[in-house]
Amino acid sequence: MATVFERVRDVVVAQLKVQPEEVTLEANLVDDLRADSLDIVDLTIAIEEAFADDAEIEIRDEDAENIHTVQDIVTFLNEHGLS
Amino acid sequence: MTRALVTGVGAITPIGLTAHDFWSNLRAGQSGIGPITCFDASDLPVRIAAEVHDFEASHYMDAKEARRMSRFAHFAVAASQMAAEDAGLEIRDDERHRAAVAIATGSGGAIETMDQMEVMRDRGPARVSPFYIPMMAPNMGACQVAIQMGLRGPAMASVAACASGLYSYMEAKHLIDSGRADMVFAGGTEAALHPLPIAGLANMKALSRRNDEPTRASRPFDAERDGFVFGEGAVVMLIESEEHAKARGAHVYAELAGGGLSCDAFHITATREDGSGAAEAMQEALKASGMVANNIDYIAAHGTSTALNDASETLAIKLAFGEAAGRIAISSPKSMVGHLLGAAGAIGALTAVMAIHDGIAPPTINLENPDPACDLDYVPNVARKMEIRAAAANGFGFGGQNGCVIFRKPAV
Repeated sequence: MATVFERVRDVVVAQLKVQPEEVTLEANLVDDLRADSLDIVDLTIAIEEAFADDAEIEIRDEDAENIHTVQDIVTFLNEHGLS
Repeated sequence: MTRALVTGVGAITPIGLTAHDFWSNLRAGQSGIGPITCFDASDLPVRIAAEVHDFEASHYMDAKEARRMSRFAHFAVAASQMAAEDAGLEIRDDERHRAAVAIATGSGGAIETMDQMEVMRDRGPARVSPFYIPMMAPNMGACQVAIQMGLRGPAMASVAACASGLYSYMEAKHLIDSGRADMVFAGGTEAALHPLPIAGLANMKALSRRNDEPTRASRPFDAERDGFVFGEGAVVMLIESEEHAKARGAHVYAELAGGGLSCDAFHITATREDGSGAAEAMQEALKASGMVANNIDYIAAHGTSTALNDASETLAIKLAFGEAAGRIAISSPKSMVGHLLGAAGAIGALTAVMAIHDGIAPPTINLENPDPACDLDYVPNVARKMEIRAAAANGFGFGGQNGCVIFRKPAV
């Protein structure tokens, strides 16, 4: 079973068209993975959909404001019962 | 005044993924029409189309950029890059503001609207893509070309239904004549294959229902024609000022001599049956080009394969060109590529340019039993080698929009 990080990494690679090795926990979505504000909204929708079968999660605008790195996404998912 | 020259050609079409492949298949009478494969059409009355097969957007642009564009913009970017490459054009940073884009479309990214409506209905508004608006907007064909290629002059996207593609060449001519630009990437793009427009057009009785014989379905000027075939694709040509083209020793395909526009002011979909609206556009094109009917050797007709268009276009050509109409070679690219809607006029323009350049009138295929109301020379079924000094491209759209653009052999 893939870890939460591995599943997040796959979504980030698919949405941002980056190389898997670029997607580290520390990677900043804007500075390192070249996302713009639209990409981040698109990414949060894709994360919600990718984890929809595990839990009914919703990344609200105020949550998204605190998401800067891949670690932030993983932490958000951990806090919502996904590990 | 400077001349506007065609120095590069690019195309993504149902019969070729380059302008040169398109042209050689067009000359050969190759049909690009087949069963619809991009969605399940089994419950539609029309199950055929002219699809573009084997197109990979990532061959022409960064994969991430491609994901943020609709298919009509993919086609525009691909065709523009090919036009630049064909022209051998390397744009310098100090001339980017002199490079413009005029790429029209009929419906832009309408397929995104249809897809995102389903997302909103099934999964709620929070799941609607943030890229929906910039993918759908009809100006994004032109603007994505500007963004991807760094063209900082005017970017324009005319909306004129099935005459749209020709409006781009009018814009290009104005931009060159007025001195605003040295380079204009001009053309049309369309990618709206979806059950909804097929259903709407089928209910208008505008589409051919010859589902069992796709390659014989588009038959302009034939007595057995029963409607047009929905198509997709794009054509972009580089229109360059004479000074700019000469300075870099560019190959010149043809000169963009001028064009004319008019509106029928008559009916939402039907053309004026006497052809007078379309004739007005052709006459205006002759006048703007400083030419007379006898200078024109070939016409890339609008020739949709609908009962109404082909008869009224024939009348319009007779009205506009008088006695010369009988000696002009006329053919319809739509017999092979179907109707590319907002790109149709650009397909006609490319056909006119290549006809002049190679001295060949491509055929109208499936013209087996001419309609008595269509009694001009439509180059039936087999291409003809002939001297073509100047050629016109016609395009007419719902709403009564009429356009005609004239190209001629470049002065040597």
